[in-house]
Amino acid sequence: MAVHEAGRPPLAMPPSHPARAPRESRESFEDALRGLEEGRLGPARALALLREEPPAAGNGREARVAAVLQELDGLVGLRQVKELVRELHAFVEVRRRRAEAGLATDPLALHMVFRGNPGTGKTTIARLLGRLFREMDVLAKGHLVEVERADLVGEYIGHTAQKTREQIRRALDGILFIDEAYSLARGGEKDFGKEAIDTLVRAMENHRDNLILILAGYNDEMEYFLRTNPGLRSRFPIQIDFPDYSVGELMRIADLMLQKRQYRFAEDARAKLEEILRAPENQRLLSTGNARLTRNIIERAIRRQALRLVQQPTTTVEDLMTIRAVDLIGVLP
Amino acid sequence: MNTVLVTGQPRAGKTLFLIQFAAFLNVQELRLHVTAPGEPTHILTLPISRARAELVDGADHKTRALQAVDVEVPVRKHVRVIRLTDTTGLSDDIHQEAAVREAMAQTLRALRSAEAVLHLIDADRAGRDGRAIADVDREIVRFMAGRGPFSVLASKMDLPQAPLGLERIRRAFPEARVIPVSSVTRLGFPDVRRFFAGRW
Repeated sequence: MAVHEAGRPPLAMPPSHPARAPRESRESFEDALRGLEEGRLGPARALALLREEPPAAGNGREARVAAVLQELDGLVGLRQVKELVRELHAFVEVRRRRAEAGLATDPLALHMVFRGNPGTGKTTIARLLGRLFREMDVLAKGHLVEVERADLVGEYIGHTAQKTREQIRRALDGILFIDEAYSLARGGEKDFGKEAIDTLVRAMENHRDNLILILAGYNDEMEYFLRTNPGLRSRFPIQIDFPDYSVGELMRIADLMLQKRQYRFAEDARAKLEEILRAPENQRLLSTGNARLTRNIIERAIRRQALRLVQQPTTTVEDLMTIRAVDLIGVLP
Repeated sequence: MNTVLVTGQPRAGKTLFLIQFAAFLNVQELRLHVTAPGEPTHILTLPISRARAELVDGADHKTRALQAVDVEVPVRKHVRVIRLTDTTGLSDDIHQEAAVREAMAQTLRALRSAEAVLHLIDADRAGRDGRAIADVDREIVRFMAGRGPFSVLASKMDLPQAPLGLERIRRAFPEARVIPVSSVTRLGFPDVRRFFAGRW
C-alpha cells in the first residue's frame, strides 16, 4: 500500500482527469468542499467524495445540533454563557432520553432573563438558542421575535392586552425576546406596562409547550425589575449574565469583522484601535456599545479609508484592503 | 421539525416549486429564512403573489443562498411542520464565479445533514436532450440511496417534451421514486404532500 509521507495527494488536478479520492474522512470531505470553492473540483466530484464518506455518527438532527454548538463555540468570549448553553443542551437531551426510557420528566421551563449591557451578545445567543431548541424538537420553529415596550404597551384600556397578544401570537413555536424588559414596570401600578406583564404571564401558562420568553436588559435595572415583581423571578428559572467584552475580545471581534469584509488592519491601525479601546475617557461609551460600537468603529473606518483612497489616482489591492491608523482618527462619536 | 432540501441543476425550477408548493399548502405570505454562505440568516417576508417576480427568473444561479420556508403538512390528526429549503443549483462544470462555487459548497454541506431530499430534474429539457441528465443528478441519486427519504421530481411536466423526458429520467434512475410535477398546473403536488406526510 502506498504511503504518502508528505500528507495526502493534492486535490488540484484538471477537471477532465478523474480525481483520486482522498482518505475517507471528515477532513477529506472538507478539503473537497474547499476544492469546490476554489474552483479545483466540480460539484459532481465533490458529491462522489461525500458519498464515499462514512455516514456521520447519528442522524441529521444530531449533526445539526452539533453545527449549532460549533457556531456557539466560534463566538468570541462569552465563556460562562457558552457553558450555560451547553448545560441547557445536555439537560434537554437527557430529559428526552429519560422520556424515551419511560422515566419521570419535569415539564421544561426554559424562560430566561438575560442581563448585560448593549452589544454583549444577548440577541445573538437568543437566536442561537432558538435554532438549538428547534433542532432538538423543543420548539417547532425556533424563530426569534424581538420586541420592546412600545410593541407591547398600548395607549388606552384594552389596547395593551391586544398588542401583547399579537406579539405572543407571532412568537408561538419560537422565542419572544423582550429587550429592556424592565421598562414594562416603569410607570408603577397604574401604567399599562403592568397589563403587558400580566398578559405575558398568562401566555406562559397557556403556551407552556410552544413559547419561550426571554427578558433582556441592563444588570441593575433587570435586578430591580425582578425584585419589584417577585412572581416573575420564579417563572424565569434561567438567568444569564453577559459581561462586557475585554479589550482583547473586542480586538478579535474587530479582526473578524474586517476579515469577513476582506479588509485588514495595518500594524499601526491595530495599535490605534487598541489605544481607543483602552482610553479611560471612552470606557463609558464602550460599556454601552461593546461589540456593536466596535462594528460602528469598523464601518466608519472603512468609509474613511474610502475617502482617503478616492483621492489617489491609482490604488493597489493592498491599498484597497488595508485600514490604516489615520482611518481611525475621530471614529468615536 | 423536519428539514427537506430541494436540490437540482440551475433552472430545474427549484425556487418556483418552493413558492408554488407553499401556496398549495395555503401559505399566503412567504417567510423565507435566507442564509448566504458565511452570512447570518435573515428573514425575507414576501406575499406569495410577489414571490415569483422577486425570486425567479430565467438566469442561471438566481438563488445563491439557502432559502427556507416552514410549511405545515397535515398528517392524520396532527400537523407536521416541514422546513423546505431551496438551494443553489449544482452543475457538472466548475463555475467561474467564486460566489457561485461557494454557494454550491453550501448546498453540499446542507445535503450532508438533510433529513429528506427532493431532487428536481427538468423533464422538458431531458426530453429535448438526453444528456441534460447530468453527472451531478446521478451523484445525488447515488448519495441518497439508503439514506433518508428521497424522491426525484421530474419538473416542468406542462411543457411539450416533458413526457419523453420523464421516460428518460425513469430509465436513468430505475431504483428511485420519480414524481412528475408541474409548478404551473400543480400536477403531482398531492403526491409530494403524501411524501411529506409519510413515515420518516
